[in-house]
Amino acid sequence: MQVTSPVREPLVTGGKTLHDVTNDIARHVEGKPTRLWYISFIISVIVMSYGIYCLYNTWWVGLGVWGLNKTVGWAWDITNFVWWVGIGHAGTLISAVLLLFRQKWRASINRAAEAMTIFAVLCAASFIMMHAGRAWLAYWCLPLGNTYGTLWVNFNSPLVWDVFAISTYLTVSVVFWYIGLIPDLATIRDRAQNSISRFVYGTLAFGWNGGAKDWSRYEAVSLVLAGLSTPLVLSVHTIVSMDFATSVIPGWHTTIFPPYFVAGAIFSGFAMVLTLMLVTRVTFKLQDYITMGHIESMNKIILLTGSIVGVAYITEFFIAAYSGVDYESYCFINRAFGPYWWAYWSMMSCNVISPQLFWFKKIRTSITATFILSIIVNIGMWFERFVIIVTSLHRDYLPSSWAMFHPTRFDIGDYIFSFGFFFTLFFLFAKYLPVINMFEIKMILKSSGDKKSKPADVHAAKTTTV
Amino acid sequence: MSHSSQFLVGVFDDDEVVLNAVRSVRASGVRVHEVYSPFPIHGIDDALGYKRTRLDIAAFMFGCCGFLGAGSLIGLTLGYDWPMNIGGKPFAPLPDFIPVTFEGTVLCTALGMVATFLLASGLFPGSTKTVFDARFSDDKFILAVELDKNHGHSAEQITKLLKSNGATEVNLKEVKD
Amino acid sequence: MSENSKRYWRSTQELTNETGFVRNANEEFPGLSNPSHANNEAKGSGMELSSHRRDFLKVMGFSIAAASLAACEAPVKKAIPLLNKPEEYEPGVANWYASTYAEDGEYASILVKTREGRPIKIEGNTLSSITKGGTSTRIQASVLSLYDTERFRGPRAAGKNVQWAQADDEIAAKLKEISASNGAIRIVTGSLLSPASKQVIADFKAAYPSAQHVTYDTNSAFGLTKACKIAFGESFVPGYRFDKANIVVSFGADFLGTWISPAEFSKQWVSGRKVNKHNSNMSRLYSFEGTMSLTSANADHRNAIRPTEEGQYVAALYNAVAKLTGAATISVAAPANAKFIDEAAADLVHHKGTGLVVSGSNDFNIQLLVLAINNLVGNIGTTVGTEATSNMKQGDDEAMSAFVKELGAGSVSAAIFWGVNPVYDYPQGAALKGAISKLPLSVSFADRPDETAEACQFVCPDNHYLESWNDAEPLKGYYSLTQPVISPLFKTRQAQDSLLKWSSAKADFYTYLQEYWKAHMYPQQKVRDNFRDFWTYSLHDGIFEPKNADWRTHAAAAPAVTGHEADSHTEPSGLVHGETAAKSEAPASSAKGFSVDLGSVTSAISSSAKGSGFDLVLYESVGMGSGRSANNPWLQEFPDPISRSCWENFVSISMTTAKELGVVVDEGDTFLLNVTYNGVSMKLPALVQPGQNKNTISIAVGYGRSVAGKAGVNVGKNVFPWISTANGYASNLVTGVKLEKTGEEYKVAHVQTHHTIMGRDIIQEATLSDYKKDPSAGHVSHLISTPEGPKKATDFSLWNRHERPNHAWGMSIDLNACTGCGACVISCQAENNIPVVGKQEVLNRREMHWIRIDRYYSTNDVSALGVLDRPGALEIPSDDPEVVFQPLMCQHCNNAPCETVCPVAATTHSTEGLNQMTYNRCVGTRYCANNCPYKVRRFNWFSYPDNKDFAINPAQTDLGRMVLNPDVTVRARGVIEKCSMCVQRIQDGKLTAKRDNRRPKDGEIETACSQSCPADAIVFGDMNDPESRIAGIMETEYEMRSYRVLEEINTNPSVSYLTKIRNKAEKAHA
Repeated sequence: MQVTSPVREPLVTGGKTLHDVTNDIARHVEGKPTRLWYISFIISVIVMSYGIYCLYNTWWVGLGVWGLNKTVGWAWDITNFVWWVGIGHAGTLISAVLLLFRQKWRASINRAAEAMTIFAVLCAASFIMMHAGRAWLAYWCLPLGNTYGTLWVNFNSPLVWDVFAISTYLTVSVVFWYIGLIPDLATIRDRAQNSISRFVYGTLAFGWNGGAKDWSRYEAVSLVLAGLSTPLVLSVHTIVSMDFATSVIPGWHTTIFPPYFVAGAIFSGFAMVLTLMLVTRVTFKLQDYITMGHIESMNKIILLTGSIVGVAYITEFFIAAYSGVDYESYCFINRAFGPYWWAYWSMMSCNVISPQLFWFKKIRTSITATFILSIIVNIGMWFERFVIIVTSLHRDYLPSSWAMFHPTRFDIGDYIFSFGFFFTLFFLFAKYLPVINMFEIKMILKSSGDKKSKPADVHAAKTTTV
Repeated sequence: MSHSSQFLVGVFDDDEVVLNAVRSVRASGVRVHEVYSPFPIHGIDDALGYKRTRLDIAAFMFGCCGFLGAGSLIGLTLGYDWPMNIGGKPFAPLPDFIPVTFEGTVLCTALGMVATFLLASGLFPGSTKTVFDARFSDDKFILAVELDKNHGHSAEQITKLLKSNGATEVNLKEVKD
Repeated sequence: MSENSKRYWRSTQELTNETGFVRNANEEFPGLSNPSHANNEAKGSGMELSSHRRDFLKVMGFSIAAASLAACEAPVKKAIPLLNKPEEYEPGVANWYASTYAEDGEYASILVKTREGRPIKIEGNTLSSITKGGTSTRIQASVLSLYDTERFRGPRAAGKNVQWAQADDEIAAKLKEISASNGAIRIVTGSLLSPASKQVIADFKAAYPSAQHVTYDTNSAFGLTKACKIAFGESFVPGYRFDKANIVVSFGADFLGTWISPAEFSKQWVSGRKVNKHNSNMSRLYSFEGTMSLTSANADHRNAIRPTEEGQYVAALYNAVAKLTGAATISVAAPANAKFIDEAAADLVHHKGTGLVVSGSNDFNIQLLVLAINNLVGNIGTTVGTEATSNMKQGDDEAMSAFVKELGAGSVSAAIFWGVNPVYDYPQGAALKGAISKLPLSVSFADRPDETAEACQFVCPDNHYLESWNDAEPLKGYYSLTQPVISPLFKTRQAQDSLLKWSSAKADFYTYLQEYWKAHMYPQQKVRDNFRDFWTYSLHDGIFEPKNADWRTHAAAAPAVTGHEADSHTEPSGLVHGETAAKSEAPASSAKGFSVDLGSVTSAISSSAKGSGFDLVLYESVGMGSGRSANNPWLQEFPDPISRSCWENFVSISMTTAKELGVVVDEGDTFLLNVTYNGVSMKLPALVQPGQNKNTISIAVGYGRSVAGKAGVNVGKNVFPWISTANGYASNLVTGVKLEKTGEEYKVAHVQTHHTIMGRDIIQEATLSDYKKDPSAGHVSHLISTPEGPKKATDFSLWNRHERPNHAWGMSIDLNACTGCGACVISCQAENNIPVVGKQEVLNRREMHWIRIDRYYSTNDVSALGVLDRPGALEIPSDDPEVVFQPLMCQHCNNAPCETVCPVAATTHSTEGLNQMTYNRCVGTRYCANNCPYKVRRFNWFSYPDNKDFAINPAQTDLGRMVLNPDVTVRARGVIEKCSMCVQRIQDGKLTAKRDNRRPKDGEIETACSQSCPADAIVFGDMNDPESRIAGIMETEYEMRSYRVLEEINTNPSVSYLTKIRNKAEKAHA
């Protein structure tokens, strides 16, 4: 495990020792919250409160407060849902797939990424609840047979598949994430100064004592979980895409959706991870752990997935034209040149054109550029979902029922809610849990850290001085 | 009545040092109680002579249960309990079973295996597993030897043995159980 | 309210339980035991009843009950528990009563469905040879007006509630005093179809000699009646027979929408439009009209003429016909664009005696010329009935303007307004209001607040017609009865009773009516040998048509102008003498002599005002009519068949005008236009109307009521003041109108904002000539090429079909028959408790109607354009479009996309092929609605029954809720709803059949839409029943005219359509 190629530059800089790692990362958990943290946390709580007010209206008065109509039955609600789920793909992908591929650089970002995943999926779930006309009965989507006479759910419905996929994904992600946390929680427990945090973290740490046998089981579990999560993460967005792909509406009924959605998900997920990491990195001074190397390799993945998505867009058009079906071809002409052209072209420029800038190493390795582009990408991905959902619905088969969709302040407010919710959770996480996986960093420290060789361990010196 | 057992705790600074230490300590016939480290040390299982964990087999079993469970749930509800004509499809159209069955399998496997792991390692909220040296979770590697299980060797010998294998310090620790 | 509803419950039970009533009933009709009567009655009886005795008792029981009710305010003594059940009253079982709707310029013989004593639905009475079971939007909606919370609760004097006694005393006293001083008393009514009521007025006049009766129609046919007076020496509206006409030429007469008797005419006209493999004969309709009326929209050939030039076009047609028949021509300037004149003439001559020319003009000269054309081609007495003439329009504009003059002059002492609202709908309404308020005595019979009632001292509220006794004579010699189906909800009293009371007659109107029928109707028949039989059976059937023999065949073709006369009238002022011509070898003359002095007509037409600026046509819209039912939210929300907009009236402008003014209507966003006509200007929203004559604008009357109630007040603008009375008749056509664009933007609520089919084959049509060559003409079948050659797209499926062991309900809709009138829309709304959502929600594209009638315009040819330009071009309708209507409700797909995607299985398929919606299982994901290719699913965005923003929704008031159909759930907020194919009716029919243990008969079960359709365009039935009409159509029209919308996506709908066939004229015999 400790063989490393000389060309690879260190993943952890600043000559950290194992102890430094512990200090650097545990510091934020133990110390008082910074003013910056307070400000951002309070802002996100305020935002969430406004969102809750809008949510209250939506549920109390009825979905009529949204801009939907008889023709466009889904718009912002499902757009936001798919958008958040997409974002929620990065975490597990990073922890699982990169683990399988033994990508060591994942070590310093997977914790935060997984946390982000979980919060994003929660936001997505909130939109599933929101979009139901009788949200208080949404649990009827679970197979709770006899409570209502033996009337079961309709397993033919992609929405039911969604329910299963999302809940499974959420559960497994939480488990994966928590298992990863246990050793670090133990670290914090053992460093705890006051009894409260000793008790709290002690309880959370499940009495972990780092025994060799536990470690070997631990690694087996992580490996299997990773093996499970990989197909799972792919299945989730595949199933989400089936909400559309299995329908009959032109623009929805598209067989390339599964791969195209998954690529899109990774695309937006990585962008979101970048956005957050770049912020955390600065606020918590973790430049040594989240290095330019990390940022650059993530940019490369964004470039790749961005291009895949671009190809998918073009393929859709080609197939629509090639199929010779009026409805299909009109649908796509309408996307690009119809009344929602602006949405389409914002999507195109944000998702297809802007990532191409990452071909240039200069942009790839510039923090500001990365930060801006990562946000642009997520804007683009939101538009992608909006375009797919709204422009396909608003002009489908019978021209007599063609209509336009105009968002109301409640469409927007409910979207804002998800942001408040997400960031509130994320800031809590960033404060009270180690944002970086300490034990994994320690694991790779020797092989991939640029530590000055200490006389104590000869092997380390041998392997790492390059 | 509480019986307590005595341990010699060797503290090391480096994973490979402790790995070699384990090897030589066991070579000299001393039974090592357990090694505690901030991160997994690869190869230490063999060094300690642990058998390969069978968690993955458990996982597979759970997987099968999940598969059958989910599959039969759909089959029985749609096809048997209340068959409905939905969209002109047969009462139990197999292709539509795939997604949910898959998710069920994954869920069951993941939860089952993790549960097994936690049980096997006695990890649960409020569990008090012996910590011989709290620094294990920071940067130290701990090698514990139970004296009662090594009557062949005196504490001094073992201490010497550990030190000679790179232990920065060796402490005597009494553990109630 | 509660107090009232209580009263009505108790009274009905109490009264129907009068001790000895049953005994009396038994004693009174020994004749009933005689089977012969029963058998006579059994034939085509409107009610499906096993025993005639019982049904007879029902009607009898009810008549007596209601009679004594209508007569006197029965004091309520005690409430009787339901275990003491009234004779004819079965909880949960509907009772049907035959009655008559004759209001607001429309007539229909109807059946009223009552549940637990509440009338909840109106259907057409198939026994009537006039409307033959046809209804219209307003007839369907009239049941809601009964439960209008705004109705007067009792008599009012000077704006205060009073008791009847007091009101009667004061009014009677004043009347006596006035007549003593010989002061003028005027009774202003609409066209009274009721002979008995006319008699009542006659008696009143007898009691008060200084009284006169003025008949005032809001949209009169005075031109026509006057023309007939001149031509036949008797003023009447001819009894038109569109069913006998192979060729119909209409000059702005919207006989399918609003003209004279649309329900009747639709039935007649459509009977000539039904084609199939065996019968490919079809009538042809030419329309010369500047605006796009329902009739224009259904025309085979349409020429958008300028309305002020109508005279010239009629003259042109006359001349063309005259040339062909060798009659004298008249010299009138040739019209601007004579398109289709020659074809029409040729057709008319080719189909002598089976053509029909009608005009909507109120200018008697034009009407005379039209009559002359009909005379030339021998239609007088065949399609232009002169025997059984129509009483629909008796309005005398001259009398009315005379009345208004004397009113202004203050020479009138008392005015009684009955069923009219001149303050609102008379051009000088404002002036009238002042004059009326100055009158010593002014009485209004209005049953709910209106502008005239507001101006009157006394309001003596009339009953709703469903609470009244009445009779009607729509066509001479064709009678029908109106019977109350519920006791008056409020302290109201029939107008006739009021008049009788004031003319100090003893009898109440019910007795009076019976006496009248005994004296006048009973003798006209031989079937019944005693009056009570006669009365009861007439009441049961709702109609009495002694002349219902095929009388029109007796009338011979009118004389053609012979050569000799042609010579003698070479000068323009020709004189055509029916009588003289009759002597020649021409066939026997029509029953009534026909003589017209074309000279005066010619000069009048040539000298008639030439159009300047814009011509403005003030038309009645199909839903709102003259605005009497403005407070009926169903009608307010009824989308106009042509513009597909509601809750508004607007200026229709041509596409050319729109370009000139720079008006673009997009998704209902439009501009306010400033319309100015003789000094008065109004701001109205603009709507671009394809096919509108470029010099013509049109605005619907009937809007802008200032006193109406929460649903109707200040909706749109009142344009009645623009009706011109200059030429002695009320003309809804004025010219010299100015139009300017104001900057102000405005939103008009549309239910359809895209008007073309985008070149998609959702509408399949052919011309008759092609159809004759190939019965599958226009039918598009979608083929997919496979290794074994092309296969039908519908032949591919992953799964095997489910069996339909028992029934397989299906529907076939004949696009050729559907005139787009929209009766089905309101019928469905009434049957299925569909909420009214108001203008804002319609603007949000959230109307709830389960059935909609899509209206599409044809486009210009775009084949020349590039792929990317085509869609844009296809969205723009042609400026001279062909129009097609497509009723669209849930298609009940057998491979339903909506069912598959519902997560909770709230929508599933029944074994009888119905797409079922389980409301209380629905969680409202709207996935089904998204995945519905037909977009027929509706979502309950708000809680319409109790959200205060929807106060106009009838279901929000206790009174309004009485109209709800107890068999249909009122949907909760957050659930999807849609057409259920009236599953409640299907179940009911199946149960009835089961009770008599037999299979349901075809036609026994009808959906609301198919039953109310005046065009019989919708056929519903069991496709498994080989005897059924639907099965017949499926069999004969398979792969022929029958097609299913979006067949190629293999949703396999249970609803199929029959291709639209247009009967285009071939130049052959032109």
